[in-house]
Amino acid sequence: MEINVLQIKDYTSVIIKGRIDSMTAGDFENKIMEILGGGVTKLLLDCSDLTYISSSGLRVFLVAQKKMLATGGVLRICCLKPEIKDIFDISGFSIIFSIFSDVEKATSD
Amino acid sequence: MKRTITLSNRIDELTRISSFLKTCADQWGIPAPVALSLNLVMEEAFTNVVQYAYSDNHDHNIDLIIKKEDKELEITLIDDGKQYDPTEEKEPDINLSANDRPIGGLGVFLIKKTMDNVSYFRKDNKNHLVMVKKV
Repeated sequence: MEINVLQIKDYTSVIIKGRIDSMTAGDFENKIMEILGGGVTKLLLDCSDLTYISSSGLRVFLVAQKKMLATGGVLRICCLKPEIKDIFDISGFSIIFSIFSDVEKATSD
Repeated sequence: MKRTITLSNRIDELTRISSFLKTCADQWGIPAPVALSLNLVMEEAFTNVVQYAYSDNHDHNIDLIIKKEDKELEITLIDDGKQYDPTEEKEPDINLSANDRPIGGLGVFLIKKTMDNVSYFRKDNKNHLVMVKKV
């Protein structure tokens, strides 16, 4: 798992690459919390290159969403691969996140 | 067809689980999306055992078995930890808002939703979790 951070319009875009499993979720959480700790109000999690996620990874997504909601921020997700989207659907996560098909749409407002 | 791998109760064994599964999937022609969901199921079941089954600091062997029959894939996890039946785990309410959703509790639920049948039995002081997917 690795992440790259870039700015797209008002959004801090975090591009997630690889696998988020029980081994890498802790590292992922630390990186996300560090970014949120920097006062980000609009966060985009770009999952184009996210190839695998387990409940440990979903947990971090939920923690980030709770934190953003508590501070009045916006968290959006884009570009989920179909097999990852399935896992979001099964978990009920598709209704608690704003999910977009591409970066353009996700950062349009 | 049947393969078994014996794992230690350490989270970093997930790497070996993935390559074990990849070898089986390649040789048995399991499609990539199915292999991905099997990987998820194996991780959730294995991680639960590593995190909750043992209260000592000893090394324990955990057997992971994958069996392919005509129209079925069967995964079995056998551990010598304390008695625990994941099938009795209460399902999370997936209709709650983000604020109301509790953190965690999704692992067993993902196993049940991904597989067609999940059963548990205790034999010779070992937990057996059997997870079947129709293909």
